[in-house]
Amino acid sequence: MPDRYAALYKPPQEIEGSAGLSGPRSGGPERAALQTIAGDFSPRYELHGDDLVSIDVSGLERLLKVREGCPARTIGEELRRGAHSRSVRAHVAVAGTRTAAVVLALARPGVTIVERGEEAAALADVPIGILSSLKSQVSSLNSMLETSDFKLETFSRWGLKTLGELAALPDADLVARLGPSARVWQAIARGEDIRPLVPTLAEERFDASIELEWPIDSLEPLSFVLTRLLEPLSTRLERRDRGAAVLHVLLGLVTRESHARRLELPAPIRDVRTLRTLALLDLEAHPPPAAIDRVTIVIDPTPGRVLQHALFTRAHPTPEQLSTLLARLGALMGQDRFGAPAVVDSYRPGAFAMVPFATNHYETTIERRARKARRENQVENSASSASSAVNVVSAVRRCRHPVPARVAVVGGRPVRVTTDRRGFAGGTVLRCVGPWRSSGHWWAGRAGQAGQAGRENSDNPNAPLQPIQPIPPILPWDRDDWDVSLNDGAVYRVFRDRETDAWFIDAIVD
Amino acid sequence: MPLARTQLESLLRTRRLDRTLTTALPGAGLDPNGGRDFAPTGIARLDALVGGGLPRGQMSELVGPRSSGRTSLTLQMLASATVRGELVALVDALDMLDVESAAAAGIDLDRLLWVRGHVVSNPGLCRDMNQRALEQAIRALALILQAGTFGLVVFDVAEAPPDAVRRLPFTTWLRLQRMVEGSQTICVLVGSEPMARSSAGLTLRTGIRDWGLGMRFGNRLFEGLNVQTRVVRARARVQEDATVALTTVATNCA
Repeated sequence: MPDRYAALYKPPQEIEGSAGLSGPRSGGPERAALQTIAGDFSPRYELHGDDLVSIDVSGLERLLKVREGCPARTIGEELRRGAHSRSVRAHVAVAGTRTAAVVLALARPGVTIVERGEEAAALADVPIGILSSLKSQVSSLNSMLETSDFKLETFSRWGLKTLGELAALPDADLVARLGPSARVWQAIARGEDIRPLVPTLAEERFDASIELEWPIDSLEPLSFVLTRLLEPLSTRLERRDRGAAVLHVLLGLVTRESHARRLELPAPIRDVRTLRTLALLDLEAHPPPAAIDRVTIVIDPTPGRVLQHALFTRAHPTPEQLSTLLARLGALMGQDRFGAPAVVDSYRPGAFAMVPFATNHYETTIERRARKARRENQVENSASSASSAVNVVSAVRRCRHPVPARVAVVGGRPVRVTTDRRGFAGGTVLRCVGPWRSSGHWWAGRAGQAGQAGRENSDNPNAPLQPIQPIPPILPWDRDDWDVSLNDGAVYRVFRDRETDAWFIDAIVD
Repeated sequence: MPLARTQLESLLRTRRLDRTLTTALPGAGLDPNGGRDFAPTGIARLDALVGGGLPRGQMSELVGPRSSGRTSLTLQMLASATVRGELVALVDALDMLDVESAAAAGIDLDRLLWVRGHVVSNPGLCRDMNQRALEQAIRALALILQAGTFGLVVFDVAEAPPDAVRRLPFTTWLRLQRMVEGSQTICVLVGSEPMARSSAGLTLRTGIRDWGLGMRFGNRLFEGLNVQTRVVRARARVQEDATVALTTVATNCA
């Protein structure tokens, strides 16, 4: 059990008479310096802000040459010397309890040594105002005292000036007046530890590198190298309950250049196979320009996911499975050819958007209930429709590139539709409804980029068609739509571009 | 009643012993479904026709001519699956999905993985490009089936030239069937004619009902189709040539 603690406090710029009573100061380098100093003496230390650290120095006297038969003073002097060697001017305190060491480091400059069992006496004459700075310094104390319904000024109003006076108060009466949290204050005043030291863990870098004796110029041998680098990293991630949020692959090339790839992962992943597959798929799409003679993997860690599986709902695929699949689809089809469809707020027929397919489909309780309500509604509609004729919503198949058509018009209505496109022979119009006029995006510029084909089709049904370019989605449109049923059994949605007077088959009702 | 030794050995050979240990077998012997799970399509009449729904771990086909209700049925199946909370995938070989129709059918679009084939503006003039697009779509389908993470996977080649589909090796469908077998995934092939042959477990054919009156046109709007769905092929528990009448309703008439 730890029986000796030390504390280092780096005061702010010194102000006459105010040493130890000021609040915390922020500063990354100061925090790093204190952490380094503490780490030089013991692996068990806890940082409290950027300028205060408490260290478990139990047993340290066995490593140091004890002077004057006083191990505590030896430890204190060594700490001060260690801080000085790193240009850190710090207050040092060594005591039998962590609380006493922290309070004394805040309150007194220089090196303060308190033997075991004398903490209360050493803290007796410390001004009571030290409790204010202590509260702001020690974050765990804040959480314990959050429910405190009194302020430290209460002690001042009572006439208490030192920690000794607070410690001397009868604890039962104190608690009866101020509540259970008063016991914590009194324990601090007596130098008693209210919680154990929680060691601060050093930030760990997750990286691995390897120099290759012979350069490699294909991905297959690189797969083995990546596996070799990723396996120990994965083990370390698992030990720290971390997952990879970003995977950096840095390839040193024989040309002295480097080829760096950065993969942002959809969820914390530490599975070696998944990480390797994603890295290889990315390198397939973005191959290095030369042979590789050095491979470095750097992982940005993130806390691991906590999954709570439900008992009665279907388990969803893991983000690792989905991200691997999406990476493979991207390599096969192209990154812009898959995803989740999205409806856009537009009157343009066939307008849509593609969004990335989510890899995390965990449902909240509200979403699950909403889906259950939709399902019950669907079942109810299906059951009620068993006796009626209505079953499904009619759908269309959209021709992403509208098919140029020759349409014969009589009396303002289409009577015959033909095309040169294989599979769209066309025929006589049996029935039709329309037209519905729609237009939009007129502010984008000139309409009618659909081409000149079909301009004279209404006069000469046998005229050959000119090839057209596909229509970009952002162009303005101005058209009349018709639904026509042909004698070949098909129902089409055709439209006439009012700008060019050209006819097109836009969709197939199916 | 305890099973005889010969019955147990027979079940071991056919790998069906896991069910006998947990469920009581009917007096006739083996489960007529072969232990297969079914997922409802969301259309009560159709589910009743096919014995509960589409079989999981099996390839099914939905075929028919143009404007026979194939797409409407397909989107309804996708909607039913997403409402059940499953992820669904659509390999759209010719990129013909109408997103508005999908949303109107009730599909949860966030749960739909849409793989769009590369569209050639005039595919009929270049058979090679058409064939390559089809083969690429098959590879995408294989990737999705191998992942095994989707409840329903639809392979839509309804508007592909039939000869292009026929040119695919027969082993293609056997391989895909092998991928889906034993999983909880339903694979539906949508085309103009049956393509998977013996690899398919259930084949449904759609067609217009009441020819001449099957397409309903109102005064100013197209109202929908009167469709008939017939079971062409089924493995178990479904009567072949059974039919069911369905009706599609255009959303602007709702």
